Amino acid sequence: MTNKSVLSAGRVNPSGEGSPAPASSGRRRRTINTGWTAAAFLLPLLAFYAVYYVYSFVFLGQVSQQRVGLSFVDQIQVGFQNYQLVLTDPIFQRSIINNLIFAAVSIAASLTLGFFIAMMLATGARLNRAMYVIFLLPSLIPLSLFASVFGRMLQDQGGAFNQALQTIGLGALQQDWLASDGTAYAAVFVLLVYLIGLPIMYYRSDVSSVDVAILEASLLDGASTFQIFRLILFPLLRTTHLTVILSVLLGSFRAFDLIFFSTLGAPSGRTGISGTYIYQSALAQDGVGYAAAASVIVLIVALIVSLVQIIVTRRSNR
Amino acid sequence: MTAQTSEKPAPAEQLAVLTRPRGSSGEGKAREPGDLDPLRFLRLKRRDKIVIQVALVALTLWWIFPMWTAISSSVSFGGIGNYLSLLTQPVNGVYLPETFVNSAVIALMQAVLVCAVAALAGFAFSRLQFRFRETLYYAVLICLAVPGTAIIVPVYYISGTLGLFDSYWGVALPEAALTLPFGVLLIRNFADSLQASSFEAAKVDGANSWQTFVHIFLPQMRSPLINLAILCVMWSFQDFLFPSLLLRNPALTTASQAVQTIQGAFGATPQQSSEYFASLVLLSVPAVLLVTFGLRWVSRGLTGGGSKE
Repeated sequence: MTNKSVLSAGRVNPSGEGSPAPASSGRRRRTINTGWTAAAFLLPLLAFYAVYYVYSFVFLGQVSQQRVGLSFVDQIQVGFQNYQLVLTDPIFQRSIINNLIFAAVSIAASLTLGFFIAMMLATGARLNRAMYVIFLLPSLIPLSLFASVFGRMLQDQGGAFNQALQTIGLGALQQDWLASDGTAYAAVFVLLVYLIGLPIMYYRSDVSSVDVAILEASLLDGASTFQIFRLILFPLLRTTHLTVILSVLLGSFRAFDLIFFSTLGAPSGRTGISGTYIYQSALAQDGVGYAAAASVIVLIVALIVSLVQIIVTRRSNR
Repeated sequence: MTAQTSEKPAPAEQLAVLTRPRGSSGEGKAREPGDLDPLRFLRLKRRDKIVIQVALVALTLWWIFPMWTAISSSVSFGGIGNYLSLLTQPVNGVYLPETFVNSAVIALMQAVLVCAVAALAGFAFSRLQFRFRETLYYAVLICLAVPGTAIIVPVYYISGTLGLFDSYWGVALPEAALTLPFGVLLIRNFADSLQASSFEAAKVDGANSWQTFVHIFLPQMRSPLINLAILCVMWSFQDFLFPSLLLRNPALTTASQAVQTIQGAFGATPQQSSEYFASLVLLSVPAVLLVTFGLRWVSRGLTGGGSKE
């Protein structure tokens, strides 16, 4: 084997585009040989994918056309009835819309508050490392714990929020936060603001690659610190914004514990998201087929988002 | 939890790991991205510095409020004794210290599975040439988007068929499946940034692919594999969904699953409420320790993970 072919085999491929081996016969034989080697290295991964993705998707497709319980016996074929029922259920429509609303709130909080927190930490303020850990903790410890604490704080009787309102003289505002739409949404929004740790991490990491000369020049021009944040660093970190937006959007479909442990969809499923919807319908009497249909719809939406992410990041690499 | 991609070139500390002599690229030397902040070299106005410090402290207090509430409520009735009784007596049939062991075992199993499978696959995607390589790679990556809740129905069926209910592996396997797309992404991105020279030398010496993998590839991948392992442990600690779906035996309950199991054990009296908060605080201790001491690894794994993608 020539040195040259080794080089090409080991070369970094920054654009991520694989080129199949050229058509010369020697090259092709080598490709076939390494093809078998590659297959051997990929075998464990493919086994995982075959069971937990490929088979799962096929299974979901089948079960979504049945009426069946968690025992998976005595199934009745019902065709596309489940899809029809799911798509016309206002609670399901609401849960998908909630996913997007919550993602939008997270994105808004990340691009403003998260960005400024990261920039302020990066100036080397006192205790910035300890504060960094505190900002990240809610996002990195089990969400079930943080959301449970938060849910308890919202309680009508003796909840920490109501007590705090009492303490600062706003006792008149005390209420049952999960009783009405408006305050229940507000409560979830506040919870989401606590969970912008990962965006803070991305900004904090990426700001270290900014050229210090640009910042010094603007400082000499008389810019204030906050002008530097807003007018220089914010536009400079636009690829980070994109990362934050896409990762939050994808993460929103995975945020199940968030709602499950804080509001549990209160009042009556109106703050529910797709995750809690599927979980609860799977546990209902003979609800597995129905849950499978909801899963298929959620999967399609999530995969479209992922596809857009891959296309957008590939394009911005060029 | 989700993985992400970012578009800038590899951060300097990743390259630093590569150029450092082998053996010294150990875990102790990992640095946080913040170490290189250009903002730190600016001479900011005194007034701005004070404003920043005040704003940060105010925000930190806001962030501490829920955690402080949990800790102070946990001792407001019954004091520290609440913790002692939680450590010695079962709650709804669950010993809390036992849940830490269960969580740790599942987390380690998942970390080993993901690291092994992702290392093998990352080697193939980065160092071997084969047809449809990029197509397959993107097919693997797109599963980053699959939410755990969307596959609970098939996972429940698969686990039932394979007899994986009430077993550690039964939980570790689907968790690993959900983490693998990110693992492959992280390993491949790092592997793509390795220099080709050592691999060329191995080829010239007649090493086969397996030897190259074991003797050339793996030693250089130590740092990203440690990153990945720590992220796996963190995500497994966070996972409530699969343990609650697949573990019914109270003796196998994990820490994050216990949050639900114990809910019913505490009523609304102030004393019981205190005990409930105490159990939440206690259950979060391992995760808080992991995050506090492993943060530089978490941060590097997440922010460097997509650096080439």
